[in-house]
Amino acid sequence: MEILGSVEVFLEMGLIFSILAMGYYVSYTILDFPDLTVEGTYLTGAVVFGLFVANGLNPWLGLICAFVSGCIFGAVTGLLHVKLGIRPLLCGILVSTGLITVNLVGVTAGLAGDFKAETTSIISFGRDTATLQDAFLGDLIPIRLKSLGNIPLRMLVIFLVVAVVCKILLDLYLKTKNGLLLRATGNNQQFVKMLGVDPGRSKIIGLAIGNGFAAVSGALYTHTADGVNQSMGIGMVVIGLASLIIGTSLFGKVKFMAPTTKVMLGAIIYQACLVVVQKLGIPSAYNKLIMAVIFTLVLVLGFKAKRKNGGVKNAKA
Amino acid sequence: MLKLNNIYTSFAKGTVDEMKLFEDFNLTVNKGDFISIVGSNGSGKTTLLNLICGTLTPDSGSIVLKDKDITALPEYKRSRYIGRVFQDPKAGTCSELTVLENFALADNKNKCYALGRAINKKRIDYYKSLLAECNMGLEDRINTPIGSLSGGQRQAIALVLAGMTKVDLLILDEHTAALDPKAAETIMELTHRLVSEKGLTAVMVTHNLRFATDYGNRIIMMHGGRAILDKAGAEKDALQVTDLLGIFNEISIECGN
Ligand SMILES: Nc1ncnc2c1ncn2[C@@H]1O[C@H](COP(=O)(O)OP(=O)(O)OP(=O)(O)O)[C@@H](O)[C@H]1O
Ligand SMILES: [Mg+2]
Repeated sequence: MEILGSVEVFLEMGLIFSILAMGYYVSYTILDFPDLTVEGTYLTGAVVFGLFVANGLNPWLGLICAFVSGCIFGAVTGLLHVKLGIRPLLCGILVSTGLITVNLVGVTAGLAGDFKAETTSIISFGRDTATLQDAFLGDLIPIRLKSLGNIPLRMLVIFLVVAVVCKILLDLYLKTKNGLLLRATGNNQQFVKMLGVDPGRSKIIGLAIGNGFAAVSGALYTHTADGVNQSMGIGMVVIGLASLIIGTSLFGKVKFMAPTTKVMLGAIIYQACLVVVQKLGIPSAYNKLIMAVIFTLVLVLGFKAKRKNGGVKNAKA
Repeated sequence: MLKLNNIYTSFAKGTVDEMKLFEDFNLTVNKGDFISIVGSNGSGKTTLLNLICGTLTPDSGSIVLKDKDITALPEYKRSRYIGRVFQDPKAGTCSELTVLENFALADNKNKCYALGRAINKKRIDYYKSLLAECNMGLEDRINTPIGSLSGGQRQAIALVLAGMTKVDLLILDEHTAALDPKAAETIMELTHRLVSEKGLTAVMVTHNLRFATDYGNRIIMMHGGRAILDKAGAEKDALQVTDLLGIFNEISIECGN
């Protein structure tokens, strides 16, 4: 039964981070833009969502607004890069640093009174706070699955639904003209210019999507943390990239699987690895180090696989 | 049709390496011209094309296309009127996208890239017919990623894509240079057909003197940022490869080699 509990934990985490990883798929894989903004926008999404919930507003509307806020700050990163010619890494650092203030000010403005900057928890959901759990299919899905050892179910279903909706929307978008143009932008900017389009615009759109997804991810995470925590965004770049690269290198050869599916599976597998490591009894202080080590391993394996593929490709050409 | 007026271009301005390439350069391209540009390495051919396409802006002077001053227009906006094929076969197509996806993108040129479906199934037969004209068997490989095609095949597709939507001017920068003699011949033949069928105005840079004499109605030889030879019509037809070689030799003697 304990195993089932762990499975539930990594499935929940995996689904939350699969959205972040799909965002990374857009900015990193498609646009080839190493985007650090997500460390800030992840928290922004959580804050926006948290404010909606804490003020008793509709949590679904909160989720949509979280997405929009992520998009806006992603676009800011894009603008800095495209209009001012600042390097990708620096743009991300600038915007995510600025967002620390924006997030705190946002909380102060949105939560009358009870916010204390010195604690790490900036919004906490009380028992009676209506999150997505209560607002969605409340009566249809039991909160816990009694027959299977008391496994919480409703949250899992909600995360699954949100992640799948994000995946379907992204898949559909990538099949549109604008989506195809985005792929072309990451591949060959000169080609995009010859189509009479400014590749900068495409980049801004791609970064907006990537950070919108990060924000949704952060908003969902508030459910497992019962609130918003100042340190929530830290390490998101590693989680996003690791999930993305695990997914694409493990399933790289599988032809008839959408890249977004691979990325989702990658996120779940990564979280499963982390849970396994934790079960081995390693103190939680080592978490981030272990995350980094697993990621490094994946990178090395991923590069090997890539080189092999590259060799085949070159031989053909 | 296209006019370059009093163009000045220099590189590394304000440093000891300052290099003035164009000084008071003028060029008029008439509608329907097919100009071959030849000239030694570093004579400014690519720079000239970059000025026309907007990859570079001149230090001073103006560029006028169809009575419209386009000197300040960014490259991507000029593409509306100009199609371009590069020396590098990788530059004219997207290697990670399939042949079909490349066609779908190019087919939508000058229209809005919004949220409509990217690939219009009804157009596939049209794309295939365009590919069939290349005689490279490409019509059966419409779902292949471009990256796994050969350089010659990619260049053929780049050429078809550049000419697919209506453009006023076709710019070709040594577009056969990376290809084997047979493929170069095929691409040159395709270029000729495209230009004459669509009545395009074309400017082609080439190091292949035979292509320069055989194709087109006008020839320009560049040297040190100047057009030292500009012949059109019957005068151009009379010009032989050996004549051009002779001029090349004279130049290099002048330069002291
Ligand atoms: N971006 C640049 N910075 C500095 N110098 C440049 C730059 N681009 C071109 N040049 C110089 O301008 C001159 C002309 O270059 P260009 O590329 O136009 O020659 P080209 O005629 O196309 O030669 P090739 O036949 O080798 O392609 C060369 O001397 C080159 O060094
Ligand atoms: Mg050149």
